Amino acid sequence: MSICRTIGERAVRMAQEMRTKMTVEVQGIRKAYGKKQVLTDASFFAESGQCVGILGGNGSGKSTLLSILSGVRRADGGSFFYGETELLHHLGRISDVLGYVPQADPLMEELSAWDNLRMWHDKATLERELAGGALAFLGIDGFLKTPVRKLSGGMRKRLSLACAMASRPGILVLDEPSAALDLVCKENIIRCLTAYKEAGGIILLTTHDVWDLSLCDKCLILKEGSLHAYEYDGDVHKLAEAL
Amino acid sequence: MRRIAGFFLAQLKRVCRLLQVQMGVSLMICSCAGVLAAVLVAQGAGEGQQRYRIGLVGDVSGSYLGFGFAALQTMDDSRLMIELLEMTETEAEAALAQGELTAVVRVPDDFLDAIIYGDNDTCVTYSAAAGQTQLGYTVMGEIADVASTLVTASQSAIYGMQRALYENGRADRVSAETDKFNLMLINLVLSRSGFSEVEILGYAEGLSLEAYYFCRIVLLLPLLAGLSGGVFFLYRKNALAGMLKAGGVGALSQIVGEYLAYLGFLCAGFLLPVFLLAQGLERALISLPEWEGVGAAPFLALLPAFFMATAMFAALQFFLYELADGIVNGLMLQLFVGAGMAYLAGYFYPSAFFPQRLRSVGAFLPSGAAARLVEGSFLERSAQGAGVAVIVWLAVFLLLAAVVRQRRILRG
Repeated sequence: MSICRTIGERAVRMAQEMRTKMTVEVQGIRKAYGKKQVLTDASFFAESGQCVGILGGNGSGKSTLLSILSGVRRADGGSFFYGETELLHHLGRISDVLGYVPQADPLMEELSAWDNLRMWHDKATLERELAGGALAFLGIDGFLKTPVRKLSGGMRKRLSLACAMASRPGILVLDEPSAALDLVCKENIIRCLTAYKEAGGIILLTTHDVWDLSLCDKCLILKEGSLHAYEYDGDVHKLAEAL
Repeated sequence: MRRIAGFFLAQLKRVCRLLQVQMGVSLMICSCAGVLAAVLVAQGAGEGQQRYRIGLVGDVSGSYLGFGFAALQTMDDSRLMIELLEMTETEAEAALAQGELTAVVRVPDDFLDAIIYGDNDTCVTYSAAAGQTQLGYTVMGEIADVASTLVTASQSAIYGMQRALYENGRADRVSAETDKFNLMLINLVLSRSGFSEVEILGYAEGLSLEAYYFCRIVLLLPLLAGLSGGVFFLYRKNALAGMLKAGGVGALSQIVGEYLAYLGFLCAGFLLPVFLLAQGLERALISLPEWEGVGAAPFLALLPAFFMATAMFAALQFFLYELADGIVNGLMLQLFVGAGMAYLAGYFYPSAFFPQRLRSVGAFLPSGAAARLVEGSFLERSAQGAGVAVIVWLAVFLLLAAVVRQRRILRG
């Protein structure tokens, strides 16, 4: 894949620039909707260069957990540390350290890819990151002037990632990153995220797709409101039973 | 803050991309309005020359009632509008059915006697084609005038005078005195409109009918602009709202940013209609009694009030689109809410004709507040209350939109 030809060297260069050995520590996140307790004790730990995959059945609370971690929704209790900073009590800081990419594309159809990026980042940052930084390995240079409505699903996903990644957030939160993409697009996305991970970023993702699990260093199953560690060995039937 | 500014700039870029669509819609609306105005003017001119044909059934010859009708037909101002045609019942019914007559007035045989002897059991009846009931009442009024002035009072006076002359041996003077009385009577009938002075208060506390409709129609444009504004909301995405929230742009900031862009989008679409209206007024193609011979200056002075009203309507439309799931639902909501508000606030029909309770509701609605603001500005009198109401409505709609946006973000 041409877009990933130089991923290795770029990732190394990016890793040198990014902060190293940051940690994410989530402890006892609770959330209830009325009388229904969706999250009772969601806890996990991750460090730089790791990807944590959160699996679970429909309605198990995966999206709720991600929305809490990305500052969209408030938790009833618990903590979320990034390094020494507790983020749930400093919601304003979440957007500085975390990039969130929803499942559906969040792009403005009437604007070009470049205009969508400009909404999130200033021109200098984008030019720097495109030239050899966080956006270089996404391969979006070729369609920057193209209106979003003319982009394919894979291009849209890469552009969505670029919107979240250009400021080099320490944590990337992804809601089903490869959903509704064909195999080639999935492979491209996985390679891009691998490069980000190798550069020292922490990825938290939810997925229903075993393809995404190849990226994950830790698999957690969200069941009855709490997270349980799971060792995925490639057996999807066993995984389905565990869910 | 940088992201809020970036989001707002992105919205402005969207407006620039969509501007050609908006200008196209604006041009289409102006063309339609122009054609409609031309048709209405032509129709109005036709109506000015139109004479209503009234069938008169019943024998009124040889009586003062017949004389009264003859006076109406030959000397009275109403002859320019009303043509009375004597005919039989059958002929009248056939002509009414074929649309050759506007109305039929039936005078019963014993009508004259009933009037003379003070018997009210018999009366003139009329039938009118559909939609002509107002005219029917006008005709009835004319008949009543003729009957009361020409028949009841005058005939009694003339017969009384004749009897008095005969009883006092002055039969030689009967003819001359009767002629004199008849002339007095004709003079009385033809000058009856001078008995009372009608003061026209207007339809909206002092506005002429033309000014009333001018204000309402110009306000109707931003009120219903939500229909053409649908293109702005075509690609609305919950995912973007969620990502923005995660990026530090909250629901209220999103709403304010999008709303300002939408307001700019609408205003850009109004540039052409406003220019055309100003040109029409400047060149006296559009004339209002209040603005005769003063060009477009008073209209331009009204623009701040129109802008405030437009800002409020934009907030209302924004809220409705936020509330609706999908563009089709949004368009339907715009149509029903916009048309309903316009009707209740008297945009289609003078509110002076509505019951008082309905008028109060109409005045309270956003469309009513906007109308009061613009009309107050038109009459150069203080409209602070309406101005405050408009601002309050605007704020309420934006806050409601932010609440709905927050729910959409959480729903994902």
